[in-house]
Amino acid sequence: MTKITINGRSIEADPTKPLIHACHANGAEVPMYCYHPGLSPVGSCRICQVEVQQGTGPARVVVACRTPVAEGMVVNTEAPKAHETRRECLEFLLKNHPLDCPICDKAGECDLQDYAFAENQGEGRTHEPRRKLDKRKSLGDVIVLDEERCILCSRCVRFMEEVPKTPQLTVSDLGSRSTISTFMDRPLSGNYQGNLADVCPVGALTLKQFRFQARVWNLKKSLSTCGECSRGCAITVEVLRGQDVKRFRPRYNASVNQWWMCDTGRFSSARHNATERIVAARRTSRGLEVAGLEEALAAAAALLSGAPAPLIVASPFTTQEEAKELLALAKVLGAAAHFVLPAPSGLKDALLNTGEPAPNRRGLAELGFAPLSPAEARAKLAGARCAVLAGERVLELLGREELARSASPKVVTFDTHALEGAAAEACIGIPEQVEKTGTWINIDGHAGKLHVARPAPKGVGPLTRSLQALTRLLQPSSAPAR
Amino acid sequence: MVIVRRKELSLLEKLYLPEIARGLSITFRKLFEKKITRQYPEEPLPKDEVTRGQPRLVVKDDGNIACVSCGMCEIACPAYAITIDGGETDRAIEREPVHFEIDMLRCILCGFCEEACPKDAIFMSDELELADYSRGALIYDLAKLKRPKSALQKRIDYVYRLNNRWRKSPSTR
Repeated sequence: MTKITINGRSIEADPTKPLIHACHANGAEVPMYCYHPGLSPVGSCRICQVEVQQGTGPARVVVACRTPVAEGMVVNTEAPKAHETRRECLEFLLKNHPLDCPICDKAGECDLQDYAFAENQGEGRTHEPRRKLDKRKSLGDVIVLDEERCILCSRCVRFMEEVPKTPQLTVSDLGSRSTISTFMDRPLSGNYQGNLADVCPVGALTLKQFRFQARVWNLKKSLSTCGECSRGCAITVEVLRGQDVKRFRPRYNASVNQWWMCDTGRFSSARHNATERIVAARRTSRGLEVAGLEEALAAAAALLSGAPAPLIVASPFTTQEEAKELLALAKVLGAAAHFVLPAPSGLKDALLNTGEPAPNRRGLAELGFAPLSPAEARAKLAGARCAVLAGERVLELLGREELARSASPKVVTFDTHALEGAAAEACIGIPEQVEKTGTWINIDGHAGKLHVARPAPKGVGPLTRSLQALTRLLQPSSAPAR
Repeated sequence: MVIVRRKELSLLEKLYLPEIARGLSITFRKLFEKKITRQYPEEPLPKDEVTRGQPRLVVKDDGNIACVSCGMCEIACPAYAITIDGGETDRAIEREPVHFEIDMLRCILCGFCEEACPKDAIFMSDELELADYSRGALIYDLAKLKRPKSALQKRIDYVYRLNNRWRKSPSTR
């Protein structure tokens, strides 16, 4: 470690990291556009300039992202000279930046906007027209480029080169006509394009999916975990007005996904906006009818009690907490617990995606759940007296249509939607991934937490509680209530 | 306790009839003077450009709405009366409101939305009457809020005049 002084405080800095890293780690705010902690530094935007004094020499202004830390450095990020230099850089960056913040999707989380306000750069001093370029250049299915807003920081170019290692973007043309482009205007490809919108410090690269969907300050952000594969990337779930999940964004987690996530996971946010959820239903002589939770659970208990023990199949989306309640139920029933392990998605890559659409596979396996492929699970079901199917998407993974076709065995389902068909004896609604708290254990054994991002539909309680209630009903009457 | 001592009445006042005549003469004189009351709502109220009526959205002369659904009025509104959903257009200005709702029952006519708007798209009109048969009908949508620019021109000019008084340079609008 190297001893340096930042804003009068002496600190220990990591010599392998640039100076800006030490500044940020010690609470000194240094703006940055071209620097990204996950990408190689280039020092093209010059906005991170700070005053540095070394030895007996005069204090000089240097770019913090390209300066390695050295023993005895005295850094002042708030020096008048540093502020002045940064303000001048900012003025040049804003020279051709269009004043369309009211339209721009990045407004509210834009580094350029924030820092222009912090430096009181509210009005431009130029009256010349700004450069006119293409405002909606499509770069494939995921990303739109607004050339006018681009400040040519080249983060996107470096991201494509360094993270998915598929260089596709470049800065073409010269001087004030420079733009970001792909070779021969080919569309971008790969499963990591969505990150381009995150790394872009301004609103030049935006997601087509999120374009003009919401103002970012209206989005309620909750920490969560992605469920599209067993990597379990740390994400933020962003919900508009407590209803629509507008987007998933990656969240920094050094040991899981760093700053990134794949497009499969990112765009799975759309899946959580389906409507028409079930609260509880049970079979009567007239067919499956909406019922109270108590009645549905009573019907479930009546079906499950007795020998031979029912089959218990969980969804790979079941959290550890729910899985433990399922185990308690299995113990009371004397049954074995299984979970559905869907076929590989074929999206496996070297970076993040494990190609295994089962976020809690490792956690369930560690708790003693036996994996079953959907076909195996269906075969086992055919031989069972009755079954409990529990967890988000369990019916979808087992094949909703196949299950609906046969009338036996009778099943109790805990899923977001009801099972149509003669087999369903009781259907109990559960919260979705974005509506519950819980833990998933990822492929490397890291725990990923889920938090409530939006409330579950009225009347839908946590799966843990429904399972506890069912276990209590099935317990011998002598046992004390839990 | 306060003791109010009344003035002793004079003889003329005690006679009663002369005072009646004096009072009625005032009444009859007022009958022929200019009226200061108004037969509202048959006779509408006088409205000036300073009248802060209900907010309305400007439709520009080219027929397009001036609003870009930036959400500034939504966030400025102290009564949370405004809800906006944006969407994409093919025009040069890429964004426009798909849904723009003002809950007139919540609106307190403070004019913050007008002040917050960076696009001169929302102004306080001179429309003041607000009565309907249901609460739902008082949540105004785009169709009920749109007004041609000419209908709001007086207020627009007034707001510009007012703002320029505080501004160093008028260039930002």
